[in-house]
Amino acid sequence: MKSLRRFFNRVVNVVTRRAQEERLREEIEEHIALQTAENLRAGLSPGEARSQAMLKFGGVEALKQDYRAERGLLLIENLLADLRTATRTISRMPGLAAVIIVSLAIGIGVNTTIFSWIQLILFEPMPAVSGAANFLLVEPRREMGGYPGASWLEYRDLQTQIPALHDIVASQMVPFNVGERGQTERTHGQLVSGNYFSALDLKPAIGRFIRPEEAERPGTEPVVVISYDYWQTRFRGAPEAVGQKLRVNDSDLIVIGVAPREFQGTMIPLKFELWVPATMGPALLGRALYLEDRSSRGFSLIGMLSPGATREEAQAEFSTAMAQLARDYPEASAGISAEIHPFWKTPRGPQRWLISGLAILQGVMLLLQLAVCGNTANLMLARGSTRQREMAVRVALGAGRWRIVSLVLSENMLLAFLGAGLGAALAVWGTTALRLAPMIGAFPILFPTRVDAFTLAFAMLLGVGCGLIFSAPPAVHLARLDPQEGLRSSSNTSPRSRARKVLMGVEVGLAMVVLIAAALFLESFRSARQTDPRFRPEGVLLAAYDLSGRNPDEASEREFAARLLERLRSLPDVEAAAIATNVPLDLHGIEARPFTVQGRVRTEPGQDRAISNTVTPGYFKVMAIPLLEGNDFADMRDKAAPAQAIVNEEFVRRYLDGANAIGRRIQTRAGSFLIIGVARNSVYDAFGEPVQPAVYFSYRDISEDQGEIHLRTRSGNETALAAEARAVLRDLDPMLPLYDVRTFSQHIERNLYLRRIPARMFAVLGPLLLGLAAIGIYAVVSYAVTRRTREIGLRLAFGATSRRVVLQIIRENLGAIAWGMAIGWVLALLISVRAITKGPVNLPVFIGVPALLLSVATLACWIPARRASRIDPMAALRHE
Amino acid sequence: MKQKTDVLQGTLALMVLKTLDVLGPLHGYGIARRIEQISGDLLAVNQGTLYPVLLKLEQEGAIASEWGASENNRRARFYRLTRQGRKQLRTETQDWEQTAAIIGRFFDAKAEDLS
Repeated sequence: MKSLRRFFNRVVNVVTRRAQEERLREEIEEHIALQTAENLRAGLSPGEARSQAMLKFGGVEALKQDYRAERGLLLIENLLADLRTATRTISRMPGLAAVIIVSLAIGIGVNTTIFSWIQLILFEPMPAVSGAANFLLVEPRREMGGYPGASWLEYRDLQTQIPALHDIVASQMVPFNVGERGQTERTHGQLVSGNYFSALDLKPAIGRFIRPEEAERPGTEPVVVISYDYWQTRFRGAPEAVGQKLRVNDSDLIVIGVAPREFQGTMIPLKFELWVPATMGPALLGRALYLEDRSSRGFSLIGMLSPGATREEAQAEFSTAMAQLARDYPEASAGISAEIHPFWKTPRGPQRWLISGLAILQGVMLLLQLAVCGNTANLMLARGSTRQREMAVRVALGAGRWRIVSLVLSENMLLAFLGAGLGAALAVWGTTALRLAPMIGAFPILFPTRVDAFTLAFAMLLGVGCGLIFSAPPAVHLARLDPQEGLRSSSNTSPRSRARKVLMGVEVGLAMVVLIAAALFLESFRSARQTDPRFRPEGVLLAAYDLSGRNPDEASEREFAARLLERLRSLPDVEAAAIATNVPLDLHGIEARPFTVQGRVRTEPGQDRAISNTVTPGYFKVMAIPLLEGNDFADMRDKAAPAQAIVNEEFVRRYLDGANAIGRRIQTRAGSFLIIGVARNSVYDAFGEPVQPAVYFSYRDISEDQGEIHLRTRSGNETALAAEARAVLRDLDPMLPLYDVRTFSQHIERNLYLRRIPARMFAVLGPLLLGLAAIGIYAVVSYAVTRRTREIGLRLAFGATSRRVVLQIIRENLGAIAWGMAIGWVLALLISVRAITKGPVNLPVFIGVPALLLSVATLACWIPARRASRIDPMAALRHE
Repeated sequence: MKQKTDVLQGTLALMVLKTLDVLGPLHGYGIARRIEQISGDLLAVNQGTLYPVLLKLEQEGAIASEWGASENNRRARFYRLTRQGRKQLRTETQDWEQTAAIIGRFFDAKAEDLS
């Protein structure tokens, strides 16, 4: 209690320091005056009386120290003093401070943004669901690979057979067509088990959630829970939304509730809008046996460990259960094993490639941050050299080693914190920008990343770490300073110049790697804009349809496509129309399928593969890909012709050694096809890809329930076709929406978007890094030069020309730089050949970037060297 | 060295409390004089050391201070004992007497008493 009060008073005193000091002064004066009066009464002379009084009082300065120590918190007061000094020092070097803070901020900002993604996936994989990261994935696995999901009956069995997991939840992603006849919209939702919302422990925004009994008997409870966003956009957030009907796949569902604001389903980053009891599946999907058929897999299962249970137990129980199911239902469950995964290790969806990509990106960015730290350390060291004298004075006046270290630390930490603060602000902007980035595609994707306390803590931690790293060298250096040495001269030998040079070399090397990577990215991005795709995207409209909700058979699929094409071709502005399963330059790429072709024997192990696309007749006309030999596919309604295939030039060159392809047979998993034509090569996956072999199959032979409509306009105004195409589809099937309508040019732009993000990042980071490297070199050289003023002066005095001096300084420093550059160059070359282009080396980049870096480095050496060589020899020699 | 000042400070604090208890509110010089009179040469030099002690006691709440006029009509800081200070004085006097008695007995003890 007593010490608490004392502490509190001390804290108050720290604040009211001045008043207290004044009080002590007054008290001392009064004391001495009284003693003097007393001495006078005792008969001393006035002068003697006062000096006796002062003698008796004792040392005033020592007392003041004691008093101060007693009064306040020495530590905090020192810290405040340090901070004040630090603020003053920093404000005296605004340029340098700005460089340091901004470079730190950019590094921390980028790192924090990436971290917020990783954090989202690892720790908060389901927004609005607390403890979502603790969910485990319950995944049946096929012997030959692949995770097909569970069937509904299997789910019901597993629910009771894995006691180590309680409340297993099942969900399946389904595209729905929502709306009245003639104006339907494609919306993604999940078919869910009855315990879905209760197991996730969610509270509805309004209304209620699906009850367990509503997912018991098939088809009885036509209810739907909608997402918050859907509620806002479709019902304008009106509370009356609950109880209203929603027309989904031509059935009426009653809206019973709205999910919490952030909730977007159980498959991040996919964003779902509707949740329907799984028992509505047969009615909505038009598949009567959907819930009874054990081979109809597709449900994703997740569950949390029961209290006290371990993952190993869950795995063991799951394996036992699957083995039993395989015995009971061999035709549906044989050869299917069991795997339990942590939630972030999902074997499907975009998350899988994301997490490793993000980890690499984070690693690279942390390296960059390290380079920034090294640079800052160099700058601070160089600055520290000019402050040796100041520090020496401080030490001589009695400052302890720790006071010096804490002074240096507080300066650097202040810089680090300013950098971290600005970095966090950048991260807020970055995550917002990324969240709003249009991730359009076949599926609705939303990354609900945001900067929360955890992310902020990461930014601050990074700031503190950086601060510690770059304050260590100058702090150690200055604390070791011998005050006598420091006061006597500033031209002593530098013990740390080697470390500084190594640091400089490493930094230049890092700069080399990142700059080359940046240049390659930008180069590929630029060339992507200029490359001829070898088909003509201008004037083509793309749109997708999906019959999967109808569960059609092959004949009706074929018939639908044929009728659709007939109607589309009759439109006056349509020059040509076709349907294909794949669109070139798609984000997801086009699958390369294995095959064997007549007349080729593969000698090496493995299988021949070729890009494969299934198209209707007329496709080559729409795409403006000329057929070099042979003919287009037979008509959709032609029943007589054999199954057909068209290959491209590269296929002929690579697999048939340029021999005649027409008339040969090609065998795939889907059957045997007769090659009837050879098409010109074109671009399939990406601009700048090496030429790939490709096979086209006919829709007539391999029917599909979904397709991408390709329309070539006569007038050149393809956007105008969208409304007409919609009308045609509506006529054919009023419940079927036309979705993902875009021009081919838009399609390409959109898919370049993902490449544009790193391209932009590198476009910003590249020059920044170049600037950083230049500043770092400049700092080191100008530091070294200042320390050698006397030597340079001597040389000049003895007749060296300033030209020679400059050359020598540049030569000395370029040594370390050249090493760093060489290592960086080789590294970049390896990375480029192995990972990025996989093709021929981009010579302009690999020569241009080193040339640029070298000239910048030389310039950064030249400026301080030149300044040094211009000094007056006499002044230099007099210079302490 | 440090030990000695600590002991000095401790005893000085007790002396300040006792002085204020007996004489009522006093300024720093008055306290110093009084202690000097009674303790002889303890405060003959370095009277200034009194002030950190006064501050410590004030921060602990044992004494309070306010500005007043001294004998020669100058502004002076007067210290007085608070209720808590009186309590502290009582317990510390007790402690002191107890310690003194124990130490006293210890010094009086002869070899045969300890065997």
